[in-house]
Order: sequence, then structure tokens, then C-alpha cells
Amino acid sequence: MTPTISATALGRRYRDQIALDDVSLTVEPGIVTGLLGRNGAGKTTLMRIITGLEFPTAGDIRVFGQVPAENDEVLRRMVFVREEQAYPDLRVEHVIRVASWFYPNWSEDLARQLLTDFDLPLRRRIKRLSRGMRSAVGIVIGLAARAELTLFDEPYAGLDAVARQLFYDRLLAEFAEHPRTIVLSTHLIDEVADLLEHVVMLDHGRVVLDAPADDVRGTGMTVSGAATAVEEFVAGRTVWHRQRLGSRASVTIADSLDFAEQAKARAMNLSLEPLSLQQLLVHAAGVSADEKVSA
Amino acid sequence: MSTLVNVARYHLVDRMTFVALPWGIMAFSFLVNVVVSATVPTGPQGIYTGGLATIYVFLLASGALIMTRSLPFGLMLGISRRSYYLGTTLLVVALSVVYGLGLTLLQLIERATDGWGLRLHFFRIPWIMDGPWYQTWLTSFVLLVLFFLYGMWYGLVFRRWSVPGLVAFIAAQILVALLVVVAVSMTHNWSAFGHFFTTVTAIALTGVLAAVAAAMGLGGLSTIRRVTV
Repeated sequence: MTPTISATALGRRYRDQIALDDVSLTVEPGIVTGLLGRNGAGKTTLMRIITGLEFPTAGDIRVFGQVPAENDEVLRRMVFVREEQAYPDLRVEHVIRVASWFYPNWSEDLARQLLTDFDLPLRRRIKRLSRGMRSAVGIVIGLAARAELTLFDEPYAGLDAVARQLFYDRLLAEFAEHPRTIVLSTHLIDEVADLLEHVVMLDHGRVVLDAPADDVRGTGMTVSGAATAVEEFVAGRTVWHRQRLGSRASVTIADSLDFAEQAKARAMNLSLEPLSLQQLLVHAAGVSADEKVSA
Repeated sequence: MSTLVNVARYHLVDRMTFVALPWGIMAFSFLVNVVVSATVPTGPQGIYTGGLATIYVFLLASGALIMTRSLPFGLMLGISRRSYYLGTTLLVVALSVVYGLGLTLLQLIERATDGWGLRLHFFRIPWIMDGPWYQTWLTSFVLLVLFFLYGMWYGLVFRRWSVPGLVAFIAAQILVALLVVVAVSMTHNWSAFGHFFTTVTAIALTGVLAAVAAAMGLGGLSTIRRVTV
């Protein structure tokens, strides 16, 4: 099957800055991929290239097997919701109506439902909306478009926790009913951790992690207890982080532990705590860019 | 084709910019001229105003707005830059047909009423827009398209290269004009140049304008190809 997105040695260089460097990855159809990384890591640039808004300076990008830039056939099958989408001076209802003309799978019912859920004032001009409401307009379009490939780039700037939860719930429900390929870029990793099936992490324009989310979740464990016991237990393992407080220690190791090892830790009176996806990625980002994290 | 029509519909959602404002501003300019010609004593030839220029200048501004303010959301809608440009051009052509007809009708009224009873020449411009109605319609149409496309090109140059680009764009146009002047002078062709403009028919001039409009369109289309939003 043709991958939905496939990038080969993709690069994007601006005058004195490398935004993307030798990025190769594939996104298979029908899964939710989290595109993670720090500010300036290249997430937005990558999504802009995928959606044909930006042109790569090196390498090759294919979406549905074709070059996306200036390709109407490919472009109409995807929707890209951006953090700070600029709108012309129109009312909310106009923007929604315009979007409905362009997306072949547009669901008017869903759009109405979401507009109500997010409490959006239909008659208000976009420029009079708060930041959060403007983000919500983008989310409504992104979900109601039911595009085969849906990309969200930090779609919830200014949205409160309740509205964000609403977005996650709707996204999941929609994904279950109308499967599609979703790429979600975000800083709020723990909030979306359960949604993600695959994780791609960028750092300084390079891919530092590209793995199924379940594999990533298994790695990383914090071992804490009496310092001597902890040190004995972690000896010979890859240590990410070490913390000591008096006679007690807490050490984060990169390995996953099998059942026997976990039992052994308990017998030594050590407590084990798996790292959250967010913590794992913070550690992954700490690894220098030329050293890939194998998951 | 349906994509292009949808792009045109997208622009028409904002009726203020493309319908209400151009005609509203021209109506205002017309009223000012009516009041002036009613109060100031006019000679037997009546008053010639340049007031008609307002609608053309306004369409130039509208064209620039289409390519600056409306473009980012336009490209969010899953269409190529090319489709956006061609769809917009479709709207420009359709609007110019209708607007040109409107201007022609107003000119017919102006003629029939001897310049609104005031010997005012607002919709009549000697020589270029003073012939039969179909010729006025054709010339108005071509000029409207020309100004629209010219404005669009300005907007695109700004989007792509920002202020330095705009400055370079204007400088380049001045240089082209300068080159023409120098070339005509060097070849001692000023009399031929003047001869062309005194003998050319309005229809032939309209043809020249149409060629310029086509050049504007090609310029805009090649500029939008690598615009990023």
C-alpha cells in the first residue's frame, strides 16, 4: 500500500538556518501520528512542505504517492489546520461556508455540531474573536473536512482545558467513525499521549525518534529507594538522570524492564515508575541530534 | 472548473470589497462632480473630469487585497496557487464584463441627458471612450481587467518579496519606461511615436491594452507559483 506521506532525505534551508535536515520518514494510512519536538525543531516547516505551502530545498516529498506542491488532486484530499491561520475579514459562518465548498467529504452536520460545542458566534467577524475562538474555527474546519489526511499544527493556541478536552474527544470519535490519517503536532504531549499510535520527534531539523507509541512508552523507568540498592540495581544500565537526597536516590534508566527484573526490584524494596511519553521525549531531546534514540 | 468557480465564490463572500466599495466610491466621486459642475459656471464645452478613474484605481487596490489578505485562507482550502490565481482571474473577467456594461449604460444616460443636464463629462472620455456603446463596453472591460490584474500582481510581489520586492518592482517598471524613452530618442522616432498615438483607432488601442493585460496576467501567474503563506 502506498504510504500516505513519504519523505526522503528532505531538507529545507533558509539563508543562514537549516530548518529541516535529511528528514526521511513514512506515515502509513489510517493512523494517528504525533509530530513532536521543541520550538524551532522543524515541525511546522515539515507540515508546510507536506501540504505544498513550502518548497523543500533538498530531497523528495510524496503524499498519496505524488508530489503535493501545486497538485490539486493531492491537495484537495488533505486539510491543514495551522496555529495562527490568517483569515480575510469575514464572519465565522462565511469562513465555514467557504470551507464547505472545497472539501469533497465535508460534513455539514458535524460542522454545525462542533460550532455549537465550541460555542462559536456565527455572526461575529473572525478578527473580533478571541485567540482561543479563532483556534476553534480552525478545529471545526479540520474535523468537518473529513479529509483523508488531516494535519493539525498546534491547533489549540489559547484554548482552555475544557475546549481542548472537547477537541480530543471529538477527534477520537471522528477517527473511530471515519478513519483517516492524522498528523498532530503539539507541545502538550501528555494530553495527547493516549491518542497517538506513532511518534515522530524532530530536533534541530532532524528526526531523532520515529517509532510506534507503544514501543516508546515501554522504555524508560525511574527507580527509587535506598541509594545503595538503587545503584546496585542500575549498575550496567544506561542512565538518563540521577538524583540523590540524603541516603535515598532516584535514577532514571533508559531500558525497559522485563517481569523478572521488576520482581527483583521489588524484592530490593525499590519502587519503579514508568516515564510518561512527555518525560521520555524530554530525555530524547537531551540526546544529541546525531545520536538516534532506538526504540 | 468547479474549483475555479468556488475560488470566485470565495471572493464574492466579501461583497463589500468587490461590489459595494468600488461603486460606492465612484458614486461619491460622481456626486462631488455633479455638485461642482452645478455650482461653477461651465463653458460651452462643459466639464471634463477624471472622476471615472476612481473605480479603476479602486479595483487595483481590490486586486492587491485578493492576493495579500485573502490568499492565506485560500491556500488552506486544499487548492494550488495556480487554481487560486485562475479562479480569481475568472471572477475578475466576469466582474469586468458586468461592470463594463454598467459603465456603458451610465455613459449612454450621460449622453442622452446632455451630461446630466449640466454638460458634465464623467463617463465619457474623449476619443478612447466616446465611440459607439459596444466599443465603450469593450474598452471598459479590457481596462477593468487590466487594473485588476495589475493590482493582483502588486499584491503577489508584496507577498513574495515584501517591501524590498515592491520597491524593486516599481523601479523595474520605471526602468522599462525609461528604456522606451531612451530607445525612441536614440532612434529619432518621436514623430513616429506621436504619429501612432494620433492615428491609432480606439479599437486598436484597446487591443494594445488587452495585450498589456495579458502580460500582467502572465506576470502574476508566474509570481504566484512560488509564493508561500
